Amino acid sequence: MPETAITVPGNEFERWRRGGAATAGLYVSFARLAFLKFLAYRLRYYTGVVSYTVFVAGNYYLFTALFASRPAGEELIGGLTLAQMISYVILSWVGRSFTFNNIDRTLAQQVVQGEIALQLIKPFHVQTVMLSEALGEALFRLLMFTAPILLVVVPLFGLSSPPDPALYGWTVLSFALAFLVNAQLNFLVGCLAFYLKNIIGVIRAKMVIMEFLTGVLVPFTFFPAWFQSAMEWLPFQAISYVPVTVYLGLRTGHDLIISLIVQAAWALGLFVLGRLLWSVSVKHVTLQGG
Amino acid sequence: MHDRSGDNILPRRDTSWGRRLREPRRQGAIIAAYFAQFLKSRMSYRVDFVIDLTANLFSLGVQLTVLTVLFGKIDALRGWSYEQVLFIYGFSLLPLGLFNLVGVNLYNFSEQYIIEGNFDRVLLRPVNSLAQVMFSSFGINGLNELVLGSAVMIYAGGRYGLSFSAVDIMLLPVFAVSAALIFAGVFLGLTSVSFWFEDRMGLAPPVYNVIRFSRYPLTIFHPLVRALLTFVLPFAWVAFYPAAWFIGGEEFRLLALLTPLVGILTFTLAYVVWTRGSRRYTSTGS
Repeated sequence: MPETAITVPGNEFERWRRGGAATAGLYVSFARLAFLKFLAYRLRYYTGVVSYTVFVAGNYYLFTALFASRPAGEELIGGLTLAQMISYVILSWVGRSFTFNNIDRTLAQQVVQGEIALQLIKPFHVQTVMLSEALGEALFRLLMFTAPILLVVVPLFGLSSPPDPALYGWTVLSFALAFLVNAQLNFLVGCLAFYLKNIIGVIRAKMVIMEFLTGVLVPFTFFPAWFQSAMEWLPFQAISYVPVTVYLGLRTGHDLIISLIVQAAWALGLFVLGRLLWSVSVKHVTLQGG
Repeated sequence: MHDRSGDNILPRRDTSWGRRLREPRRQGAIIAAYFAQFLKSRMSYRVDFVIDLTANLFSLGVQLTVLTVLFGKIDALRGWSYEQVLFIYGFSLLPLGLFNLVGVNLYNFSEQYIIEGNFDRVLLRPVNSLAQVMFSSFGINGLNELVLGSAVMIYAGGRYGLSFSAVDIMLLPVFAVSAALIFAGVFLGLTSVSFWFEDRMGLAPPVYNVIRFSRYPLTIFHPLVRALLTFVLPFAWVAFYPAAWFIGGEEFRLLALLTPLVGILTFTLAYVVWTRGSRRYTSTGS
């Protein structure tokens, strides 16, 4: 006899609530463990701070030279002042240090080495586990990586404050959403390992393309109008261009809210897409040996 | 045993002249066998191999797009024209391609050879230890960079109205190889550090990330950065100075001619550190 048949209807909600809490607790513990794991490897991130300083410095000099070389009488390039451009460079790279994660690489490794079999027999949802772990990693990055990078590059190159102090809050929210979009996208890329096995090349291609399409390398306003409208329809802008332009005050009022909703919609949409792709891909799993 | 380098732990080699002359051929044959072995393993993931090449093309495409978009806004970058910057960029791909062909193994040397103890095997074989490490796998993408770099140079040079003299044509490969030696020297030096310290920090990535900015005219940087790139981390010599021989002003001509010297110096220094380091190597035990 099914268990539900003997439960009193009044207890349904209580049971659901407890089950929900237990599930949430499970995923929180994955996030916590990931945080602790990365904390153990924090030494590796010290040289990463140097790397990001190099990225910011190189682009700082490049764009400073660009502005110094602009035609006489023109103040702006791509609609930005030099101070805005420098803030753009700093925030793009600092933001990347926070939103970055290796879900794709980790998933691919588990598929190729066969560990995925052990994940599949456990009573949790792999996609949610990976997202929780990425959340733990993001928290680690924020405290031990992004914050030190900010402490180094802001005094060196000068980040101008946003036109309205409220934008600090909106920027943080927007970068949090950017992290979610990026994590979902990485999960989708990781799923390709079920079909291709070795996806190091795909991941490399993705990293190159993303630097460009998220707006980290050059602001979209430098490009022709058709390129800018094309970018509006892709999820990549939600990973860097949107949060950075929120900070610069280029999105105000109605626009600002819409931008954040679009980011959230991409996060949700890609999560659903990830779930679908996962359920199809898992059927492809072939494991070597027995 | 301590007075001998890691390469010579085995009984002394036959030092007669006939043997010495045959030695390079023998080592060459072994390296060719390494290459064949590598190709076999690499081709077993054919789809990924193709995607890897595509990734390389994407990367070049992105860089070219960025340059083109930036130069859409200005006439010249601190006096450097689009064609000049493009030429430097094209040239920079030649040494990078040459280095990537054999340098990939230096990146994960610490992990693969020191921590996992695989350097034992290298030392037991009668082939130069550095050659074994460098030639154990190949970055085929390097070929890609060589071809595309040449194409970019020819395009930029053509637009600039550049004419190559016989001397220029002779100097180009000399500069490219010398610049590749600088890459090899810098990364070999960093790798050799792991004989003294377990490189948990990963010193190579930040240095590698400097490369992408060494492709711009050096004069856009702060004088301090210029000095750093010239004297400390000599990446100014891997692209800007040698390329300036062809497209730059008179003031860079002498500096360009120093490129081979800087290359040999950097690599020799790194090789000395490597040899001293590999003498210190004590396996992981067990």
